[in-house]
Amino acid sequence: MSFWERHSPGIGGDGAVRTYHVSKSYIAGTFALHDLTLEVAKGEFVFLMGPSGAGKTTLLKLLFAAERPNEGQIIVLGRNIARLREAGVPALRRRIGVIFQDYKLLNRLTIEDNVAIALDAVGTPRREARTRAFRMLKQVGLQHRRYHHPLSLSGGEQQRVAIARALVNEPEILLADEPTGNLDPELTIEIMDLIASASTRGTTVIVATHDVGLVERYGKRTILLDRGRIADDAPAPGRSL
Amino acid sequence: MVIGLARSAVRGLRASPLTTSIAVFTIAAALVLAGGFGLLVANMGDLVERFGEELQVIVYLEAGLEGEALRELAASVGTVEGVADVKIVSKAEALARFRDSLGGAGLLEGLVDNPLPASLEVSLRSQDRTPEGVAVVVAALSGLPGISELAHGQEWVEGYARFASLVRAGALALGLVLAIAALMIVANTVRLAVYSREDEIEILLLVGASRSFVRIPFLLEGALQGAMGGALAVGLLYLAFVAFLPGLEYGLELVLGNTAPHFFSSGQALALVGAGGGLGLLGSLTAVLGGRPAS
Repeated sequence: MSFWERHSPGIGGDGAVRTYHVSKSYIAGTFALHDLTLEVAKGEFVFLMGPSGAGKTTLLKLLFAAERPNEGQIIVLGRNIARLREAGVPALRRRIGVIFQDYKLLNRLTIEDNVAIALDAVGTPRREARTRAFRMLKQVGLQHRRYHHPLSLSGGEQQRVAIARALVNEPEILLADEPTGNLDPELTIEIMDLIASASTRGTTVIVATHDVGLVERYGKRTILLDRGRIADDAPAPGRSL
Repeated sequence: MVIGLARSAVRGLRASPLTTSIAVFTIAAALVLAGGFGLLVANMGDLVERFGEELQVIVYLEAGLEGEALRELAASVGTVEGVADVKIVSKAEALARFRDSLGGAGLLEGLVDNPLPASLEVSLRSQDRTPEGVAVVVAALSGLPGISELAHGQEWVEGYARFASLVRAGALALGLVLAIAALMIVANTVRLAVYSREDEIEILLLVGASRSFVRIPFLLEGALQGAMGGALAVGLLYLAFVAFLPGLEYGLELVLGNTAPHFFSSGQALALVGAGGGLGLLGSLTAVLGGRPAS
């Protein structure tokens, strides 16, 4: 029996993400996350809801090891983040795709290179990386803009490039932090449909948002965070936790 | 993968041509000064070596020592530890050499008696052709009968060797100071490059690039800058060597004797380029390991 299994009664199974009494504090006495215990199953689609400062971004950062918890255990794809060595972080991140509100694209690269960078970083041969990047751009409908630069694209198109970059490595988990925060309602649906399509292919998807309309439209499990704690965990309609 | 990293390094150099040029020229300037001294030291070292090869002891003999006694003395000199060969120079031969060195017999025409003494030219074994080896042989010969005077270039060679060592130490000290200056400049250039590409580093780390994958292009950039500086230094030194040598011949003769100055061998030139590359690599290591890229 593993450490996790011995010390996490009630949370087992085949989870993509499991957290156990996780706390994160940036300033002494103030918690960004406090005593957070949750599980996300493989292939599940989860919305993280809550106002600004609720801890959504902090939780996502913990999940891709950009931050470490002060207390508790976090198991992502079988790896304990709290005890993960620096050298083990890249291998974990190659299994996780991340999308941000501000896209985080490199303006001096073409959009194809922006997508291929995720493959270059893991040593994929250049030709293969470009082929796969092109295929991915085709999936998000931007193959005709492959040699354009991000600044010549609209906000929605830039986010589609970011999604392509996050998915080109076929990650097991897709994390999205307010992916539609800068987009108008029409583009929001377009982007969310792309993210949801990743879920249908078996990718575990966690989307942080404060857009209630979005949550209602997609009808997925929704975890409500409030001041670093889980205020509510509503299962998707027709599914119980 | 390797090609990709190299391509990334070259892209980095081309992205900031001004800072790259400043770093390359600074390294070149440092290596021109250090290399110039190195060139002088190498030539002086050659001269010291040549002196060593020519180092011998002249044994001037007392008047009247001739025939069998002279041969016996030569034989006993030949047994002294460190002596390789002994050549007898008779009074007549000494006069003939003197006449030759004067370029004719004009000045010596009125000479009735030969005033020059007979002598023995004592060559040393190669391993004993040092100031210390000369001292040992001279001490052994001093006690032999029939010898009026011993002549050797020991003191002069020692003095020159000391001077060459001093120049070498000066070159090393100067080289060290210049190397540190060049290193700091490369470190700052690479640090600027790291800062200017923080967004790229952030994304690379985010998509699972290892730290070495992120760092290697910066290290290659530093090494390339250094090697380019080194190559530029070799080129400038060669131009200076060819352009200024004729005008410096008299001054160099004082320092190098009649040894013809030579430029670096191809191996030494490559070593200078390598030294530049090493400096660049060290500088970029300082920059990359000293701070960012962070998580």
